[in-house]
Amino acid sequence: MRNCRISLPKSLAVFVGLLCCTPVLLAQTEAPQKPANSPAAPASSRAPDLSGNWAIKPGGTSWDPSDPNGSKPEQLPMTPWGLERLRAAKPPFGAHQSFEPNDPHQRYCDPPGTLRMYSYPWQFTIVQTPAQVYLLFEYLHTWRVVTMDRPHPKDLDSSWLGDSVGRYEGDALVIDTIGYNDKTWLDMVGHPHSDQLHTTERLRRLNHDTLELELTIGDPKAYSRSFTSKKIFKLSSFPMGETMCSLSEDQSFQRNIMDRTVSSPPAK
Amino acid sequence: MEKKFLLVSAVAAGLLSATAAFAHHGTAGYDMAKVVTLTGAVTKVDWTNPHIVIYMDAKDAGGNLQHWSLELSAPLLMQRFGWTKNSVKAGDQLVAETHPAKNGAPVGTSGTATFILKFVVNGTPLPVVGGAPLRE
Repeated sequence: MRNCRISLPKSLAVFVGLLCCTPVLLAQTEAPQKPANSPAAPASSRAPDLSGNWAIKPGGTSWDPSDPNGSKPEQLPMTPWGLERLRAAKPPFGAHQSFEPNDPHQRYCDPPGTLRMYSYPWQFTIVQTPAQVYLLFEYLHTWRVVTMDRPHPKDLDSSWLGDSVGRYEGDALVIDTIGYNDKTWLDMVGHPHSDQLHTTERLRRLNHDTLELELTIGDPKAYSRSFTSKKIFKLSSFPMGETMCSLSEDQSFQRNIMDRTVSSPPAK
Repeated sequence: MEKKFLLVSAVAAGLLSATAAFAHHGTAGYDMAKVVTLTGAVTKVDWTNPHIVIYMDAKDAGGNLQHWSLELSAPLLMQRFGWTKNSVKAGDQLVAETHPAKNGAPVGTSGTATFILKFVVNGTPLPVVGGAPLRE
């Protein structure tokens, strides 16, 4: 079996080692195909090196490529269903921003959604093995698994992160994901999605210190056509850290700070 | 130093645009066009997610003591900006800037992922992010 291709801080080494050395456990979630670590598995020698800790630049709260801060969230080509969902949202950013959000992530620490993970101002790292690629996010310690060179299983159950399959195209890692549930938003400005969401992520290294994500979003229930947006991430010298969403901590903050800013002005 | 409470009615628009706020809850509850400078004593520090909160007592222009709560970014980001959990402690004398709540409550945001306003602890300034300190 090949060794993992990158070195990582000690805090991740055990986890990555576990991922690399226990493919049998991981294969339990895959379609019953050839063993993921079989000699016939695609060689990773042609894989571009995407390793590193990648810093997510704050901002870019919307995936609308012409309106990255969500000042006109209705301008995406939305279906009536999508528009109704958008208008019901009280998001943290954009034209409809609110301090009394109905965002399930803010209110209940629900997972924020795969695509929103790229908007939080923390880091993620990419771990490439021959059969799987892992995207490890500091925020909530979320990890995504991308199974390489296989089709999506049939009869997928919907899930928070969906089912991600990957392949290399030249210098890019291409991740195709379906099987999302409809409980999250696309972004920080309340753009909705349905369980018909289909995303394609193309990650490639523009240079040693720069990673580009080109994201194509298709969802015929929420949007009348697909659209494509990009984000840039910079190589970080900081080790990976921890930022959790704790419901008790969030509720304390809600009471001590947010609720006080939306209550009636104090008596003079 | 005599405790004082200054209300700065306007901040350069260029500075604000350069430090567009980002936190997971946004800044809809705050008046980002105003900066209040507070001087007083720290009573408590919550160094925790989702946001650090510094509690301090400061007098307003009329000499009335107010109990302020100042929100900062998350601990991990603040560490990367050069702060530590010991940067501000209960009992410290603090001069701090904050964008106040729109509703007049003594609550403010003093830092997000893109900026940290001025903090001077026992006479020593802490790292400012997103622009030069606004004023003494």
